[in-house]
Amino acid sequence: MPEASPRVLPVQAEVVPLGRVNQVACAVAAAHIKALLGLSSQVVQAAPEPDFAYLPVRGQHDAAALMDYLAKRRPSGVIRVGVTEADLCLPVFTFVFGEARLGGGVAVASLHRLWEGRYGRSAPRSLAYRRLAKVVCHETGHALGLEHCQELGCLMRFAGGLTTLDRLKMWFCPACAGELSARRAEPFSV
Amino acid sequence: MTRDFRILVVDDELAMRESLAGWLHKEGYAADCAAGGAEALELLGGRTYDLLLVDIKMPGMDGLELLRKMKETHPQTLVVIITAYGSIESAVQAMKQGAQDYLLKPFDPEELILLIAKLARQRELIRENQALKERLREQERTGWGDLVADSKAMRAVMRLVEEVAASDSPVLITGETGTGKEMVARALHAASQRAYGPFVPINCGGQNESLLESELFGHERGAFTGAVQARRGRLEMADGGTLFLDEVGEIPPKMQVDLLRVLEEKAFTRLGGSQTVHSDFRLVSATHRDLAALVRAGEVRQDFFYRINVIAVRLPPLRERDDDIGLLAQYFLLRYGRETGKTVEGLTPEALRILNAYAWPGNVRELKNVMERAVVIARQPLIGKNELTFLQPDQESGPELISLEEMERRHIQRVLEAEEGNITHAAQVLGIDRRTLTRKLRRQEAK
Repeated sequence: MPEASPRVLPVQAEVVPLGRVNQVACAVAAAHIKALLGLSSQVVQAAPEPDFAYLPVRGQHDAAALMDYLAKRRPSGVIRVGVTEADLCLPVFTFVFGEARLGGGVAVASLHRLWEGRYGRSAPRSLAYRRLAKVVCHETGHALGLEHCQELGCLMRFAGGLTTLDRLKMWFCPACAGELSARRAEPFSV
Repeated sequence: MTRDFRILVVDDELAMRESLAGWLHKEGYAADCAAGGAEALELLGGRTYDLLLVDIKMPGMDGLELLRKMKETHPQTLVVIITAYGSIESAVQAMKQGAQDYLLKPFDPEELILLIAKLARQRELIRENQALKERLREQERTGWGDLVADSKAMRAVMRLVEEVAASDSPVLITGETGTGKEMVARALHAASQRAYGPFVPINCGGQNESLLESELFGHERGAFTGAVQARRGRLEMADGGTLFLDEVGEIPPKMQVDLLRVLEEKAFTRLGGSQTVHSDFRLVSATHRDLAALVRAGEVRQDFFYRINVIAVRLPPLRERDDDIGLLAQYFLLRYGRETGKTVEGLTPEALRILNAYAWPGNVRELKNVMERAVVIARQPLIGKNELTFLQPDQESGPELISLEEMERRHIQRVLEAEEGNITHAAQVLGIDRRTLTRKLRRQEAK
């Protein structure tokens, strides 16, 4: 009997608000995933407050724990991108704007540090949303399997601070864009 | 881009090592994990790592012990210690034991990226340095530089140089201009036990006696007008190395006596000085002249000649090394092609024939210049006749074989042209009687 060919699933993205999150920010994230990564995306129902990931010693949320949570509820062929207002960290790092499993289909982004503006003031909403869109696209790129890029301005370039994040363009360099379209074309099997 | 920089993360906490390794993967580095010192040593046994990120506090073998053990077997591997605030003293101890840096847990991602980039660059520099040293060692080992040769005559020279390099006896290199006497001297130096000492060359020709004396012996302040400060001479500079006296036949007899004394005693005084300066050098001399004939003519002292001519190396002229012409031409073509950024592949058979037919009075130096010029004017990858046209009028022995009579006719014509048709002057140049020349011209006209 001939072997049945594997079902090719179109890659989709779900933006999951983790607890109470600014709805406009989530919509901006979903729109940018669609526009820049070419994935169909939507904001889904919010998950409960992610208290389980809170680390009292650090006063921050563990990004790895949040990704585990997202991964458990991930349908096949779907990339789940969590958005939270909580401050995220990793065991080794003091903070992260976002985190993703490389090629693992899950990512998380935090708005917490993106509100920081000049001279101790809050950043305008438009700037904070633009920053979130960059973090979300960057992490979704990782979730699809893309590594960091050295190209100046490319969204896959590592940004460890707001200054570097603000310098990134809303753009994937040709190499990363090519890689993205190849990943989109592949059946998402993770 | 960064995949060739391999990192090993050693930490007993799973979350710690996985998040760090995961981040390194995203950054494009090849990263592996080990849960402890023993596992790390096992991994190090099978693979080479450029950098180890090691947690200092681990059960069993801790970070310090791992550092100590791996530095014995993998001294080139870079190590960064990861430590909590409380164990900073141990981190300092680790630095003393050879760790490159330390990071306080948890750390800023930007801090890590800068540190790894710095270490990757450091590793690259170490590699470059090793490669350069290797090349230098290779060059020092062979030491032949531009001395490209395959002919029997040059192979014999190279063998002789290698044999005598180890001794301290003076060497006299003879050969026509452009045969590579200084290169052979440098090869001798490079192959000798003095290779790490200085190689000090001085051209004894074309300098007046007092200048040469000052150059060789040095002078004290005020030794002569213009000696505003003391200066070391070449003899002094060559201490521990090799002194190369080029055109040694040009040294005036008086100075030959002084040099002879220096060679005997290995000591001298600077001009205008009274203090004895000791210098231990090996003497290599070179000349394009026939020193034995100069001894007979009284221009070179016999004792000086015998002292410098303990080992004689004769470099054959290029015309006696037919086998080397093509090889050298090819070598210089590639070299100048690289330098000028032109794609030069080689010579056409016709060009090679022209080169082989030429007499090369300027020897290898002339060939080198000819090839440089050919590369500069070349418009095609193969150097042909067109690039060597400037060479042909100067040919001393062309491919054309002519009779003695024809040779005489052409020579008389050349002299007549040079003397603007004046038969009396031409006869004087030719060293024959005017009537004999007239007779010869009539006979040539009759033919």
